[in-house]
Amino acid sequence: MSTTQRNRLVNPRLGTYFGIFVSAFVSLLLIAVIAEQLGVPDVALRWSMLLAPLGLYAAIGIAAHTQEVPDFFAAGRRVPAFFTGLALAVTAIGGVGFVSMTGLLLINGSDALCIVNGVVAGFVVCSVGVAPYIRKFGCYSVPSYLGRRFDSRLLRVVTATILCAPLLLFIIAELKIGLIAASWLTGASERAMAILFAVTIVSAIGLGGMRSLSWSGTAAALAVIIAIIVPAAVAALEFTNLPIGQFTHGPVLRAIGKLEHTQGIPVPILSPFVFDFAGTGFEPLTRRISAPFSSLGSASYVLTSLMLMMGVAIAPWLLPRIGATPGVFDARKSLGWAVFAYGGLMLTLAAVAVFERSIVMKELVGQSTGTLPQWFSSLVAAGHAAVDGRLPNLPLSSFAFKRDAALFTLPIFNEYPAALLYLSLAGGVAAAFASASATIFALGSIIAEDGFNGGHWEAPSATPRLLVARAAIVFTAIIGAALAVALPGDPLMLVLWALGLCGAAIFPVVMLSIWWKRINAWGALACVIVGFVVAFGGILAAQANWLGIPSALVSIFAIPAGLLAAAIGTRIGPAPSRQVLELVRDIRVPGGETVYDREQRLLRLKQRQRPL
Amino acid sequence: MIQRKERKPYWRHTKFQMVASLLPFLMILVVFPLYAEPLNSKLFLGFPLGYFLAAHGLILIALFTIASFVNRQDAIDHWHGAHEDS
Repeated sequence: MSTTQRNRLVNPRLGTYFGIFVSAFVSLLLIAVIAEQLGVPDVALRWSMLLAPLGLYAAIGIAAHTQEVPDFFAAGRRVPAFFTGLALAVTAIGGVGFVSMTGLLLINGSDALCIVNGVVAGFVVCSVGVAPYIRKFGCYSVPSYLGRRFDSRLLRVVTATILCAPLLLFIIAELKIGLIAASWLTGASERAMAILFAVTIVSAIGLGGMRSLSWSGTAAALAVIIAIIVPAAVAALEFTNLPIGQFTHGPVLRAIGKLEHTQGIPVPILSPFVFDFAGTGFEPLTRRISAPFSSLGSASYVLTSLMLMMGVAIAPWLLPRIGATPGVFDARKSLGWAVFAYGGLMLTLAAVAVFERSIVMKELVGQSTGTLPQWFSSLVAAGHAAVDGRLPNLPLSSFAFKRDAALFTLPIFNEYPAALLYLSLAGGVAAAFASASATIFALGSIIAEDGFNGGHWEAPSATPRLLVARAAIVFTAIIGAALAVALPGDPLMLVLWALGLCGAAIFPVVMLSIWWKRINAWGALACVIVGFVVAFGGILAAQANWLGIPSALVSIFAIPAGLLAAAIGTRIGPAPSRQVLELVRDIRVPGGETVYDREQRLLRLKQRQRPL
Repeated sequence: MIQRKERKPYWRHTKFQMVASLLPFLMILVVFPLYAEPLNSKLFLGFPLGYFLAAHGLILIALFTIASFVNRQDAIDHWHGAHEDS
């Protein structure tokens, strides 16, 4: 086997390091199980399951500190495809994608799969149409890519300003999920937990930027995988005799379907644009679990998946990670690993939801309020479930659950040791930590690079450049944590809006910038502005009930408007210069030096030759 | 390094590969869910077929799409001499 230059860049001991992390995390779980049996106080266990992993992520981030610009913004371009894929899978829609997703699968049944379909499709589109070219260009953020591609500083600043809104929404949503998990785990107030999150994230990514983010994010992603897989595998052993519930929950699903049939749970016929996902409050179980289109209309289902596809394909918190892969080939491959990891996790969540539903059907439905099992009463007392005891022989619809508790309640449903519950909660914290830190880094670098230093192409020298970026990261983390506590809102809706806005604003322009050579700066500017304004106005109008379309999917209608604006702008404006056309031809070919790195190298040479 | 006269054929080839990878996948993404209900009466591995295709099926198809794309596009890069220096 020949060692290529790309492979020589990669640290050969990465596998060992992360093996050590996984062992540490697993032994933390085992120690917690043992300590629980030995009668160690509950409080100590809870706090150690929160602080020990968070401390590890922060320590990994601090250990990867750097003073080099390419390390800070692109991890030195040496993160292998597999590790990039893991981080992409966990941060694509992050904690919301795991915590709320399980609740949706439990309450809304198979309609929630439209989110899985959308994210997976987003990875495919990114791999085929976006990632290789973004990697060849090698810019540190999406606005700088667009600005340089169209040679327009105005476009760079406008895109940076516009992207602040969806990125901030995404940060708030992720931190909200993190706060739910962390304050359930410790019983401390959300405010204290928000401060803890902000401090951990800043110390994890402040010193090393993308380099720290890559390695601490990978550690968090591994923690998420363990925390989701372990309780699900234990439950699967109990239900199906095999620890692979992902592929064996079919018979359990059918048994639920038969019970639902005998109880005569109705199958509603919805109009195509109905969008009725569970909110954050108590939601009664009124739908059949595997009946398609019982909470989303058929049009809503397809449009939601298309909207998520566009958002994920160009998500500004994912594309910088793709810039950190060693080469174009690895950039394409990393998305394959992302589909693998994300798909596996989502199938696990589907199994978790089916097992929970099965327990509800078997142990709760048909009982009277006096004979409900003890674990359910404790859930009700803790405020995670509710029961409406007016009817005799309680039917399915008299049980209500909270959407964002469903992932964590599996160990309670099955009466497992409390350590497994704490493990699930630590997984929720890890997912929120990974995606919030990725987004805070993305927004911080956009503010620093394209806002503060966005006025001219020649970046300042390393020390002030990194100082500004670090300050922006601290600023973003504080604002995000403060808003996550202060603002009310449903995390799932915030994420859907954020992805919709991102998709509407920059999906068409990023695709066109690669696949349509002749689009010019006017067209690009018109596309970004019209797409964002239409989507934003649409969301506001839909929230005010003026449109008759749910606000979660209104932004899909901004895509045609943006494309039209791009065509008109390109028609009116001047043709792209020869230099820009040469640049496009360059990014279309994988071979050769990364465009941005070459520019920086030439710039340094020029500065060195300048007479003193 | 790619030769100048290879650029056009390389890009034509790449565009064709992009359409060949994305078009079937997107058609499946849009069309599959609409037939989930009639498919649910059939079984596969104990799963209702419509559910299986929406959950496991789409993920497997996506994996296959990316794997075949990476493989084919790498072959195209090498054929036209557009691959990265190694």
